[in-house]
Amino acid sequence: MSIDKRSWLVAPAVALLAVVFVYPVFWLLLRSFSDPYWGIQNFRTLVDRPLYLRALANTVIVSGSVTLVCLLLGYPLAYTIANAGSRLRRLLVFAVLIPFWTSLLVRTFAWMVLLQQKGLINQALLRLGLIDQPLTLIYNRVGVIIGMVHILLPFMVLPLYSVLTRIDPSYTSAAASLGAPPLSSFLRIYLPLSLPGVLTGTVLVFAIGLGYYITPALLGGPGDTMIAQLIEMQVSELGRWGLAGALAVILLLGTSVAFALVQRVIAATR
Amino acid sequence: MNDTDGRSASRVTLDRRQFLAVSGSAAALGLLGAGDPGFAESKYAGQKVVFASWGGAYQDAQKVSFCEAFAEKTGASVVQDGPVSYSKLRVMIEGGAPTWDVVDVTIDFLYSAVKDKLFEKIDTSIVNVNRVEKKFQHEYGVGNIVWSYNIGYNTAVFSPGKHPQSWAEFFDLKRFPGRRSLRDRVNPMLEIALLADGVKIENLYPLDVDRAFKKLDTIKKDAVFWTTNSQSQQLLIDGEAGVGIINNGRIYDAVKKGSKLGIEWNENMQSVDYLVVPTGVKNKSIAMALIDEMTLPEHQAKVAELMALAPTNPDAFKLISPSLSPWLSTTPENAKKGFLVNEEYWKDHYKDLAEKWEAWKLS
Repeated sequence: MSIDKRSWLVAPAVALLAVVFVYPVFWLLLRSFSDPYWGIQNFRTLVDRPLYLRALANTVIVSGSVTLVCLLLGYPLAYTIANAGSRLRRLLVFAVLIPFWTSLLVRTFAWMVLLQQKGLINQALLRLGLIDQPLTLIYNRVGVIIGMVHILLPFMVLPLYSVLTRIDPSYTSAAASLGAPPLSSFLRIYLPLSLPGVLTGTVLVFAIGLGYYITPALLGGPGDTMIAQLIEMQVSELGRWGLAGALAVILLLGTSVAFALVQRVIAATR
Repeated sequence: MNDTDGRSASRVTLDRRQFLAVSGSAAALGLLGAGDPGFAESKYAGQKVVFASWGGAYQDAQKVSFCEAFAEKTGASVVQDGPVSYSKLRVMIEGGAPTWDVVDVTIDFLYSAVKDKLFEKIDTSIVNVNRVEKKFQHEYGVGNIVWSYNIGYNTAVFSPGKHPQSWAEFFDLKRFPGRRSLRDRVNPMLEIALLADGVKIENLYPLDVDRAFKKLDTIKKDAVFWTTNSQSQQLLIDGEAGVGIINNGRIYDAVKKGSKLGIEWNENMQSVDYLVVPTGVKNKSIAMALIDEMTLPEHQAKVAELMALAPTNPDAFKLISPSLSPWLSTTPENAKKGFLVNEEYWKDHYKDLAEKWEAWKLS
């Protein structure tokens, strides 16, 4: 089957992307070098002022932590779904997808209600006698990570699940029959086979996380500013398109590098 | 906010006698644009004017007050659009064909946009700007509502009378321990910090920025920062913060819904929304005529009753119920305790200070 002959099938999608995505992105990139005048002054500003580097570091750290937590929560979940009976599987997939159907703002406000000092979680823990003082679960980094993990978990689980269902169970049976203990059969057979799913999920969650701004703004503390919040501020409050463009370039570069790395790793594992 | 809407019809206390008194005197002075509906009808009938505002209950209040009255009087149609986005507005004006004819903008945007010639001059032959107080008139906009940043508190945490009654007390962690909620924005936080540090209102501007940040350092650990109005309300209602900075209308709204919150008017910091006309609109005169309609007291009274947003036309107070007046920023006794933000200062300093604020939060 020749892909070239069918390439016209993607033409509408490509045209749409060109108009609504490539053109505006290019326009913004151009402005990062041309606004208010031609030069690299916008990028110099980013390097010179600690604010931007700190926010950039925050962005990478928060997004990285969220990715890690998503992986730790998502892998067992995806494994369970992949190996469950069809009824339980449908139920679990449904549960994973629920966050997609409510607005991000509503979910974020729901977390505010749950996590605050007099919120449900602290009340329950206090009443159970597990803590004496309410925990600070919100308006700090913990709150940001909890909120983002909830929203981004499906992006980890779904690619993992689709890879895990394709792993032939006879491989692990074969390993067991040859005397491999469960752990080593997992580490030497199952895990390497699931790696493409792990990498896809990781890069998806990490890349999407880099651009978050509502969740850190509402659930974070003063030290949790992420780069997208500063982009939003530059555009809508300060009208500094050039600086916004420069920040966007950095974000885009970071995302592209993450994607490229994963592509390479996936290619190498094959 | 929807229950605010529901109250609309019953809460507007447009006493007929009062209404006639006000509109009568206005007409006698030749101020009432609609004094001759027949003339207005022939001029704008069948035309369209697009009004952009901030959506929600606020824009609904604007719609049922001056927008619908204007449509009725002139035979024009007023199209509601929004919510206002300054980047969108800017792009639209720079593109040369703004689709919004009249826009509700905050005072900071008015002042910064004037530098870039984004708005048309107010045509005083159509808009009777003198209906609104002098301090709410501007060459490029007419003030339509006034609101203020106040000290708000949860009455279960601080009983009324024993609550922080000045910004100095607001910053006093020893006498008033516990978390406080702050607006996540450099303006009003610098003014508030300076007042707390003992600067007199009349000496605030130009702001002593370093002094303000030093004062802010003292409560940073005990602060929660809010970015949306509903957040500012929720923090106080749930007692996450015992005391906080909050808009007057938001406390009014919460109290109406049964929450136990109190408001302090001392040193309230006032701000204004203006109606403006973007540069290059196709039909400037109908846009100006809609702004003129907004200045009428009956419409401002209606918006006040619905939203607790204070009128810029003092005559509106004759139509506002006495129980509401204490909640409004331009009620004389409240206005006396407060001050109007100085946008002349902010328009030149906002960009740098906004960045400094972000840097301070991350430091």
